[in-house]
Amino acid sequence: MKKLFKIDVWAWFWGILALLYFFLPMYGTLDFSLRMQKGQISFLAYQTVLADPQFMESFRYSVIMGLISVSLSVILFVPTVYWIYLKLPNLRPVMEAITLLPFIIPVIVYVFGLIRTFSGPPFELTLTPFKTDILITAGYIVLSMPFMFRAIDVGMRAIDVRTLTEAAQSLGSNWFQVLFDVIFPNLRVAILSGALISFALVMGELILGDFLVRPALGPYMVLVGRDHAYEPAALAIISYALTWVCLGLIMYFSRGKNTQQLTGR
Amino acid sequence: MSFLKLTNVYKLFTEIPAVEDFNLEAEQGEFISFLGPSGCGKTTTLRMVAGFEMPSSGQITISGKDLTYVPPNKRNVGMVFQSYALFPNMTVAENIGYGLKASGKPKAEIKQRVEEMLELIHLGNLGARFPSQLSGGQQQRVALARALAIRPQVLLLDEPLSALDAKIRVELRQEIRRIQQQLGITTIYVTHDQEEALSLSDRVVVMSQGRIEQVGTPAEIYTTPSTEFVARFVGQINLLPIHVVDQPAGLVKVGQQPVRTSRSVNYSDEKALRLAIRPEELNPGHREDANNLTGVVETVTYLGSIVRIRVLIEGNSVLMDLFNERRLRLPAVGESFELNFDTDACWLL
Repeated sequence: MKKLFKIDVWAWFWGILALLYFFLPMYGTLDFSLRMQKGQISFLAYQTVLADPQFMESFRYSVIMGLISVSLSVILFVPTVYWIYLKLPNLRPVMEAITLLPFIIPVIVYVFGLIRTFSGPPFELTLTPFKTDILITAGYIVLSMPFMFRAIDVGMRAIDVRTLTEAAQSLGSNWFQVLFDVIFPNLRVAILSGALISFALVMGELILGDFLVRPALGPYMVLVGRDHAYEPAALAIISYALTWVCLGLIMYFSRGKNTQQLTGR
Repeated sequence: MSFLKLTNVYKLFTEIPAVEDFNLEAEQGEFISFLGPSGCGKTTTLRMVAGFEMPSSGQITISGKDLTYVPPNKRNVGMVFQSYALFPNMTVAENIGYGLKASGKPKAEIKQRVEEMLELIHLGNLGARFPSQLSGGQQQRVALARALAIRPQVLLLDEPLSALDAKIRVELRQEIRRIQQQLGITTIYVTHDQEEALSLSDRVVVMSQGRIEQVGTPAEIYTTPSTEFVARFVGQINLLPIHVVDQPAGLVKVGQQPVRTSRSVNYSDEKALRLAIRPEELNPGHREDANNLTGVVETVTYLGSIVRIRVLIEGNSVLMDLFNERRLRLPAVGESFELNFDTDACWLL
C-alpha cells in the first residue's frame, strides 16, 4: 500500500508539472490577448482580428486550400497505400521513407525547388493566382504526406486488408465496390485523423504561402505579429482553438458505434 | 461428368513449385478435404479454385466451364476464411446480404435470403449485431451463411475452425456438415487436422510438398495408406524394419520374431520395406491364431480414455493403445510384455 501511494504521488507530480509546462504559456497568451483595453479584461483583440477583412480573406483562403489539399490527399493516398498493402507489400518501407522526406528537407529548400522547377516553361505555375494555387495545393499535399500516410497505414494495419478484399471479391464485388463498400468505411477513423491533422497543418503553414505570395493564414499571422501587440496573441489562441477543434473531431468520430473493433476477425 | 475438375494444375512461386501435377475430380454435392502439413500446397490449391491465385499451368473447370483465368468475383464460388473476414462496418444481416447487394439483387429478395440464412445457422435473432459483438463461433457461422447466401456453385473453406477452441470446433464442424448435406453443395475443406478431415469428408486428399499423396475415403486413407507419409501423417503408426522370409505367403520377420501378413506387396528394395501397424490394432497377451511379438515395456502413458504403452521390440519402439477400462491391468516399466495382432491388421509399406 505504501509503495502504491508513493507511485501515485510521483505520477501526480509529473502529471501536474507537464500540465503546467503546456498550459502556463497558453494561459499567459490568453491573459495577454484579453488585456488590449487598458485596465480591464475584454475581447477587443479578438474583435479587431475578426473584423479585419484581410483576416477573413486569409482564413477563407486557407480553409478552401486545406479542404482541397486534404480531399486530394485522401484520393491519392488511400488507393495507393491499399494497393501497396495488397499487391506490393515489399514497397511499404520505400513508401514510408518517401513520406518522411518533408521532415528531412526544410520547407524553405522545398519551396525554392518548387519555384525553380515550376515557375518557368513549360509549367509556368506562378504566372497567375489560379496556377499558383495549383502549385501551393501540390505543396500542401507533399507537406501533409507524413501524417496522411501514417494515419492510413495504421488504419490498414488494424484491418486485415487482404482477407477482407478477397472476401468481398468472392461475394462478387468488383474493385470499385471493394474500395467503397469495405475499405473506405473501415478506414473512416484513420482517414479522418489524417485529414484533420493535415487540415490543421495547412491552416498554420507559413513558408509556402509566403514565398508563393498567396493570402494564406500563416503569412497573415506573421504580418500581424510584426505590427501589433495583442492581436497576434488573439490569433495564436484562435489557432490553438482550431487545432483543438480538429483533435476533438478526431476523438468524437473515433468513438463511433462499431469502430472499437476494426480487425475484421 | 465430374462437377469440379482440376487437371494437371501447377503453381510456381518464383520458380519454386507450390503445387505440382494436381489432378482431382469432385462430384456435385461431394465434401472433399485437403489434408496436409503447413506448406504442403493445400491452401494454394484452394485459392486457385477461388481465383485468388492463377495456376502456372493446368485447368480448373466447374460444371464443364473453364474458370482457370476467370477473376474471383465472376466465379460464383463461396469462400470461408480462417479469420472469418466479416466486414466490421456491417451488421450480421448486412454481411450476409452483401454478396446479393453487390450483384444488384432486389431488396426484398436480399431480406428474404438473409432471414433464410440466419435460420439455417440458428442465429435468427442476431441480425442487427455487429461482428465485434459476436463470439468466434458465431462469427464463423455468419461467415458461412454469407458465403452460402450467394448460392455458390462450390463452397471453399480454408481452415475455418482453427481459430476456435476445441469444444466449439467439434460443434461447428458437425453444423458445417449438416448444412452442406442439407444444401447438397460441393465443398472443399482445407485443414491440417486429421480428425476434422476424417469426420467430415466424403473423400480426403492427403498432400505433401505440393503433391497429392493419396485420395480416398476416410476409411481408405486410415486403414490402407498408400505411402509412408500418409501412414505417418494420418493417425499413429508403428513402422518396423523387417526382412522377407516368404513373400507369397506374406511371412516376414521382425528381428528374430515371425509375423504373417495377409496383404502382400511388390517391392524393389527389401531394406526400405516396413511392417506397418496401428497402435489400436495391438492387444496385450498371447493368442495362438494371431501374430505375437515380445518386448520390454518402456513407458506407460495415461491419456484419459486410452492408455499408451511403449514396448521395445527387437530394438524398435512400438506404441500400443488400450481402452482405459476399469479391469485393465497396466504393465510396469521394464516388465517383459507380449502383444498380439491379427494378420490382416498389418501390412508392408
